[in-house]
Amino acid sequence: MFTTRRDFLKTSLGTSALCSLGPAVPAFLSRSALAAAPRQDDGHTILVVVQMAGGNDGLNTVVPYEDDEYARRRPTLRWAAKEVHKIDSLLGFHPRMQAFMRLYQEGHLSIVQGVGYPNPNGDHAAAMRDWQTARPHQPDCQTGWLGRAIDHACHPGEANTPGVFVGQIAQPFGLNTEKAVVPSIKNLEQCMLTPEFDSAGPAQRTRTGDDNPLLDFLRLSARTAHADSRRIEAAANAPTAEYPPLPLAQSLKTVAQLIRAELGIRIFHTELGGNGPGGFDNHANQRGNHGALLSQLSESVAAFVDDLKRDKLLDRVLLITFSEFGRTVAENGRHGTGHGSAAPVFLAGGRLKGRLIGAHPALTELENGGQKFHTDFRRVYATVLDRWLGMDSSAILGEKFDTLDVLEA
Amino acid sequence: MFADNRTVPDQGRSEPPGTPDAGRPIDPDWAWAPYKPDTQRPWDLRRAGHLFRRAAFGADWGQLQQALADGPQRTVDRLLRPDADVEAFHRTYDEYEASTAGSDSADGLRAWWLRRMMQTPHPLLEKMTLFWHDHFAISNARVKNALLMHKHVQSLRSHALGRFAPLLQSVSRDPAVLLGLEAAANRKAQPNEQPARTIVEVYSLGPGHATEEDLRSAARAFTGWFVLRGQLRYIEREHDTGTKRFLGEEGDFDADAVVRILLGQPAVSRLLVRKLYRWLICETEESDDALLAPLVESFRKDYDVATLVETMLRSNLFFSPAAYRQRIKSPVEFALGIVRGLEGMVSTTQLGQDLAALGENLYHPPTVRGWRGGQYWINRATLIGRSNLAGALLSGSEPYGDKLDPAAIAKKHGFPDPEPAGRFLLDLFLQGDVEADVGDRLLRDVAAAGGDLSRRLRRLAGTIVTLPEFHLA
Repeated sequence: MFTTRRDFLKTSLGTSALCSLGPAVPAFLSRSALAAAPRQDDGHTILVVVQMAGGNDGLNTVVPYEDDEYARRRPTLRWAAKEVHKIDSLLGFHPRMQAFMRLYQEGHLSIVQGVGYPNPNGDHAAAMRDWQTARPHQPDCQTGWLGRAIDHACHPGEANTPGVFVGQIAQPFGLNTEKAVVPSIKNLEQCMLTPEFDSAGPAQRTRTGDDNPLLDFLRLSARTAHADSRRIEAAANAPTAEYPPLPLAQSLKTVAQLIRAELGIRIFHTELGGNGPGGFDNHANQRGNHGALLSQLSESVAAFVDDLKRDKLLDRVLLITFSEFGRTVAENGRHGTGHGSAAPVFLAGGRLKGRLIGAHPALTELENGGQKFHTDFRRVYATVLDRWLGMDSSAILGEKFDTLDVLEA
Repeated sequence: MFADNRTVPDQGRSEPPGTPDAGRPIDPDWAWAPYKPDTQRPWDLRRAGHLFRRAAFGADWGQLQQALADGPQRTVDRLLRPDADVEAFHRTYDEYEASTAGSDSADGLRAWWLRRMMQTPHPLLEKMTLFWHDHFAISNARVKNALLMHKHVQSLRSHALGRFAPLLQSVSRDPAVLLGLEAAANRKAQPNEQPARTIVEVYSLGPGHATEEDLRSAARAFTGWFVLRGQLRYIEREHDTGTKRFLGEEGDFDADAVVRILLGQPAVSRLLVRKLYRWLICETEESDDALLAPLVESFRKDYDVATLVETMLRSNLFFSPAAYRQRIKSPVEFALGIVRGLEGMVSTTQLGQDLAALGENLYHPPTVRGWRGGQYWINRATLIGRSNLAGALLSGSEPYGDKLDPAAIAKKHGFPDPEPAGRFLLDLFLQGDVEADVGDRLLRDVAAAGGDLSRRLRRLAGTIVTLPEFHLA
């Protein structure tokens, strides 16, 4: 059957493994096995969540450049009218976010302003935990909101992977599940079977109906895993658009490749700013670091949007950003800012409706020295769960939140 | 060798007498009576392998052969009470672990525990310590203190085959547990309900046995206990001395009284027997109450864990098709099965990380309910991850190096030539539980291939341990 070991290894790499079993497997079985290889429900919607740790200065991200209060409170950090990318007569993007300006003009970017929650936490870990669990002020909450969505979508008998983390840091708590194992993907190589030790070929046997249901389950799962590996390999070898050499861009490139591989993954979580101190937490001399991070955000997301658009995949993808809090409106005398409260959330994708959602919160009525929220972040979550992923948001969030009218039907 | 042990290649085909027919309830008297080998149910390599997968982390060839020579009685005896100096072994490892204790990360502890699992003369004790770590699922993600986690798991180990009553008492006074349940402060003015709920509904009774009032009372009983700078402290003025009603009793209960009342409830025995049944015997079917009733009844009398474990491991049911290959290996069981089988030692720092990526991060159970496990261990990504981990362990190169050498082990046990060595590996890892045509093809292939035998056997071993059968415990 296999004339040489080399042939065996070669065929065990391909779907041809089944067919190459030749007389051992009746033809109809090979065909049905191939047909049973996972064709995920093509066309399903996909959510990409970008965590920005440290507390992003929303005020210097979407800048109220005409506001006197802004100029007064930010004597050294303010951006002038001629420096920002003007959204309208009042607001403009940070000077290094020209790519977001373009996405905005193309209708692929929305800004939800004034997003936060009641009695916001001023501590990084606690506030981040509030956003991750979507159960503010319940420090003992055991699961993340995305983790609960994954548990809802996870059917153990199918061995599916509804959600993954893509990035180099430890998996954020937002993905913490009670049941499912959520993969952390650092690179595509780890998602592919090592050719030399790949037993998926022999494992890809058509014989099921064993009297041990667990063995059946493992045989079917091995078959789908093998098919996944091949799909990922094909996606990894396919040409992609240019991505800048930035960590977030590289993560989003991996996300785009995994989307193309059609593995049935509905939730991708990635991040900018790392975990622990650093990232967006700019208490002193924030200008350079903040600008670099915002540039990375907008250049990376723009590359991702362009890449997906080219392959007509953008209509299936919605990306959202979040950070645990905004910063104080007033700068602190060290050219930095303190922990604030409300901040804008960005949405990017192909089926966005409004561009600028909600008013820019006033700079005169503050909370914790930051802007007051008017849109609870769980309304954003409910919107993406109910209206984008088609999941039951009240089951996942524990209560019903009004959704936002930001997505095309 | 292979031919001798191949008498029952396709398990479950010829069912022994007394085994349950599909659909008919299992007779509890038969189920829990000790298994005695007979011609229908011989003591063979398969049953020995099964015992070591459940009561240990797999076996090497010497252990399997010793078990075949000794029979099930003596083998179970030795698993329960090894004749090595277990205490000296643990003293040494406790010292190793204490050296990592200054850290807020438990990654060092994780590496030592994996190493302990590989090297221990008493693997059943580690298996049961892991069971309790899954039951009292305290995570260093919340505790953030390696010293407290070390003491916590050390305490679990000291009670792992002891009695449940002192174990629950010790857990309720463990600073790691209080921190892990976000209950560092239990003030009179703000009794903490979540830890009370966990102790009642997860650790002892299971859900549905206590009312909201019971839970409020338990929370009040725990007031006064604090963890301050890693130390447990009792502050008397913060203890609520008022009358509490708890599970039908009334009094000025403190934490000890709550634990005492909990231990008097029949639900405790039921919860633990059911959980241990899933751990040691079978996770595919919900255990039925009638089958477990005799064990629940006797465990309730003294909460003697060792006796319960011993009854299960010796039983007819344990050696029947109802248990055989009716569990999915956790990532730890998967990897240690490979390492122990090949009598090697690998870097457990690296292994700890790799197992975490597959969903089993020791010292970091995902929630207070532990690891869900079973079919949830397996998805397409974790299966690919398991294959690649096996490949890395067996490749002979970095990051695991050449610590595992299938050819050397085969030769050591008298199989220097390709095909017999291949049969040896199939027996070692699967005890013949592989479809005949797959096994034959692998053997033909390894015999026909040219080149370096060591390399070929690495490849073969890698293929064997990623077959669907190997993922079954």
